[in-house]
Amino acid sequence: MESFDELRERFRREAASIADREAWEALRLDWLGRKKGVLRSLLARIGEVAAESRREFGAQVNELKVEVERGLEEIGDRLAAKEREASIADRRVDVTLPGRRPRRGSLHPVTRVTEEIEAIFAELGFSVAEGPEVESDFHNFEALNMPPDHPARDTQDTFFVEGGRVLRTHTSPVQIRTMLTRKPPIRIICPGRVFRFDNDLRHSPMFHQVEGLAVAEGITFGHLKGTLEAFLQRLFSPETGVRLRPSFFPFTEPSAEVDITCPFCRGEGCATCSQSGWMEILGAGMVDPRVLRNCGIDPDIYSGFAFGLGLDRVAMIRYGIPNIRLLFDNDERLLRQVDR
Amino acid sequence: MQFSREWLAEYVEVDGGIAEVASEDLARKLTDLGLAVELIETVRPGAVDEDTVFDLDITTNRPDCMNHIGLAREAAAALGGTLRRPTVDLPAGKESTEVTITIEEGALCRRFVAVVLEDVTIGESPDWLRRRLEAIGHRPINNIVDVTNYVLWESGQPLHAYDLSTLAGEHIVVRRATDGETLKTLDGEERKLDPDMLIIADDERPIGLAGVMGGEATEVEPTTRRILLEGAWFDPKSVRKTARKLGMHTDASHRFERGTDLEGGRWGVERAAALMLEVAGGRRVAATFDVRGESFPSLPSIPLSHSRLEAFAGTRFDRAEVAARLEAIGFTLKPNDAGWRVTPPEWRRFDVLEVADLYEEVLRTLGFDRVPAALPPSAGPDAPESPVHALRRLVRRELAAAGYAEVINYAFYGAPEESLVLPLEGDGRLIEVQNPLSDRYRWMRRNLVAGVVSNGDFNRRRNLGAVQLFEIGHVFWCDEEFEPSEAEHLAIVLGGLLGTPWERPLDFDLFDLKGILESVADLVGVELTARAVDLQGLVPGVSAQLYRDGRVVGFLGELDEGATEGFPLFIAELDLGALLPLERPRPVQIPFRHPGIAVDLTLTHPIETPYSDIADAIDSQQVEDLVGFGLEARYQGKGVPSGSVNTTIHFRYNAEDRSLTQDEVNERQTVLADFLRDRFGSGGH
Repeated sequence: MESFDELRERFRREAASIADREAWEALRLDWLGRKKGVLRSLLARIGEVAAESRREFGAQVNELKVEVERGLEEIGDRLAAKEREASIADRRVDVTLPGRRPRRGSLHPVTRVTEEIEAIFAELGFSVAEGPEVESDFHNFEALNMPPDHPARDTQDTFFVEGGRVLRTHTSPVQIRTMLTRKPPIRIICPGRVFRFDNDLRHSPMFHQVEGLAVAEGITFGHLKGTLEAFLQRLFSPETGVRLRPSFFPFTEPSAEVDITCPFCRGEGCATCSQSGWMEILGAGMVDPRVLRNCGIDPDIYSGFAFGLGLDRVAMIRYGIPNIRLLFDNDERLLRQVDR
Repeated sequence: MQFSREWLAEYVEVDGGIAEVASEDLARKLTDLGLAVELIETVRPGAVDEDTVFDLDITTNRPDCMNHIGLAREAAAALGGTLRRPTVDLPAGKESTEVTITIEEGALCRRFVAVVLEDVTIGESPDWLRRRLEAIGHRPINNIVDVTNYVLWESGQPLHAYDLSTLAGEHIVVRRATDGETLKTLDGEERKLDPDMLIIADDERPIGLAGVMGGEATEVEPTTRRILLEGAWFDPKSVRKTARKLGMHTDASHRFERGTDLEGGRWGVERAAALMLEVAGGRRVAATFDVRGESFPSLPSIPLSHSRLEAFAGTRFDRAEVAARLEAIGFTLKPNDAGWRVTPPEWRRFDVLEVADLYEEVLRTLGFDRVPAALPPSAGPDAPESPVHALRRLVRRELAAAGYAEVINYAFYGAPEESLVLPLEGDGRLIEVQNPLSDRYRWMRRNLVAGVVSNGDFNRRRNLGAVQLFEIGHVFWCDEEFEPSEAEHLAIVLGGLLGTPWERPLDFDLFDLKGILESVADLVGVELTARAVDLQGLVPGVSAQLYRDGRVVGFLGELDEGATEGFPLFIAELDLGALLPLERPRPVQIPFRHPGIAVDLTLTHPIETPYSDIADAIDSQQVEDLVGFGLEARYQGKGVPSGSVNTTIHFRYNAEDRSLTQDEVNERQTVLADFLRDRFGSGGH
């Protein structure tokens, strides 16, 4: 029979070789197992010990048990630490792998620009008005001071549909519809799609416009200039220069073509602006009194201004799209680059 | 429209001389007046007779500036100089002539001026005349024709020279054409005439289309000796109608359509006759014919109030300066206390009608930059956002946030064969464009899916793994009386495999499409119901109509393409109007404070049983504290009898006032499960 010292020595020896949970469990069973464990066996042999030594023997067994338990605990802790280390090593990731992005959709460049312009004009006190795209001759032309056989109709090549109607050539008919149904003061913008009989690299038979209209007592030409400056400087940049040149539209008097300093070269002169430093961006003017009268508004009391610009063009400038037809190819590779 | 600087200079008298004014500065001045110079070009560079040509875009309201004298008037006024009009020195005609002139349509031809020349010699024009015409892009023809062109570009008066000896009789009539009459015009085309067209005729036949083009038979030829030179005033609408009907556009019609100067004919004819005698010899016969039709009402005398002018502009103007500017371009002013009474010159008769036109003249000639910019007073937006605008904005945001890209297609298509799916609104007729660009653009679109399908295909062909697009736009139809209607629709196209294995890919199918539609409808609290129905253009069995309150408001399904190399496309269209009125914001439901219990149930049932029947049956049981249920999984395959499917549904129980026990939930769930198995088929946990 081994002495307690020998047993102690054996446990130390066996404990020193434990490297994993399995061996640890075997060691635990060997020493502390309820049936065949070394300590159990020792206690079972207590009967073989002389009566006077039994107390001493029991104390020795207990001491050994405490020692074995402590030893097993130490090894267990050591193993647990090793295991945690190993598992952390397993979970280690390559943070340079690409993230999984949710798929982002996009708004069409024209929509994007339209929303931006609507927001600017909301701040300036303009609401949005809309109307049909198949229009009557009255709303699209006549009420706008373009009677049948007027040469100004030549400048708006028109698609005709059955029943004497037209595909609207501008969103001005929405202005007419608004003035016919509402009393001044009126401040609206009219975004929407329009149609002209035209199809080449620079023109598309369908494009988009936003027009604006303000009618109230005391609206001045200066207000037209102020509104356009505020709008264009917010849309492009605060430094944008705005220039009005006299022109002619049948529905405004006086009429103006409006230029901005070229957004590409900031007025320095470049290929886009033919070295002029300016870019024609919209048409505007004071509402012709004949148009006001056509809508039942007394031009002796009220005055107003109106303007219109091509949204497609603004989208092209903003997103660097060189050809209007790229806007309507609807290529996802282009569309998905547009910020929402 | 081209103008020679050298030619313009002849008419402008300015301190220091016009030669001192740089071409760029002159162009700038003209542009600032509304006479936009688009291009400045040097002709014959380096030569002694080098010239500068201005290319101008002259708006339709300013026919008076479509000639060198008219433009010089504006330039002289802007430079603070004066207009120097050439004097006409035409010897009196001593002999008499047989020629008579009659105007039958006095409203369409208000004045007909003519001069008869004899013994002219047709030949080449002198250098000065050729040079000026060539500078502005005109090819010299012969001395007589060149002079008529010259005076047109000098004064704006269209002229025509007839070979008098080719006329049948010497009686000129201005009348309407009769049905069946024809005229071979100078361009060699045989024109069919009708009574809407005004013509110049001799005793037998038409010899010219009034205001548009002369006839070939009476054209000036190298052998011509006798000339009748015409300078008339024709009605703009009449000329425009005739020219349009015949598909013609000439330098003459361009001006007559826009309104010529009633006084221009006499000066023009006599100026041209004098030049012809100078360059082609011959002599003048008889006096100038000056036959008048109906007279115009007298020119208006428009009250112009100085203070109202300033109120309109939004700035102060010096009274004397205003008057000087208007007078410099030919207006007559009579001052009064408030301002003036203003009469426009004859050449502005059609353009200046009322006080707004005078405001324009003042602002234009003083310069737009004299008016300071100011914002109008405003008390915020003048109307609330319309429901349809708000809805469109919401739907777009939702779709873009869910990964869809917005497209915009043309509103026309090449239907009917392309209108692949039934329209949503009744059976209105397609609207046909009467002058389409091509057959591909002949019809107004009746639905949006035709467009998004082609977008889907376009992108599929570009090897994109997945296609996910939407469009919002109008569709069009009309009734039997061509009364048009429009509705705003949403269309979606979806398909393919989105993402790589690394990204855990999503294989799009009909239920991704249905889900986004449900999600869009849910934005505004609307529930759409799908009912299986086979639709033209969609794969049978993989298509449905969408209902709201018993009305068809949309459809969805898999596009039936036959054999295709790409992935299948799933398409949908929805009437956005069906989502109105916009009920937002909707009140929220406060979650119960106590935790709930979730249970799953798997039913094995015949594959034909629609899920909606099972859902309806669950609803019908009104199980206590059952706050929600939904589809967990569907399974067909090993362990499931053929013709059957496993449907796993998850149930959520929750009570407002206490925590439920597992036992009471199990009890209710057992009753429900027995009911469902009994009703729909067999199956077990």
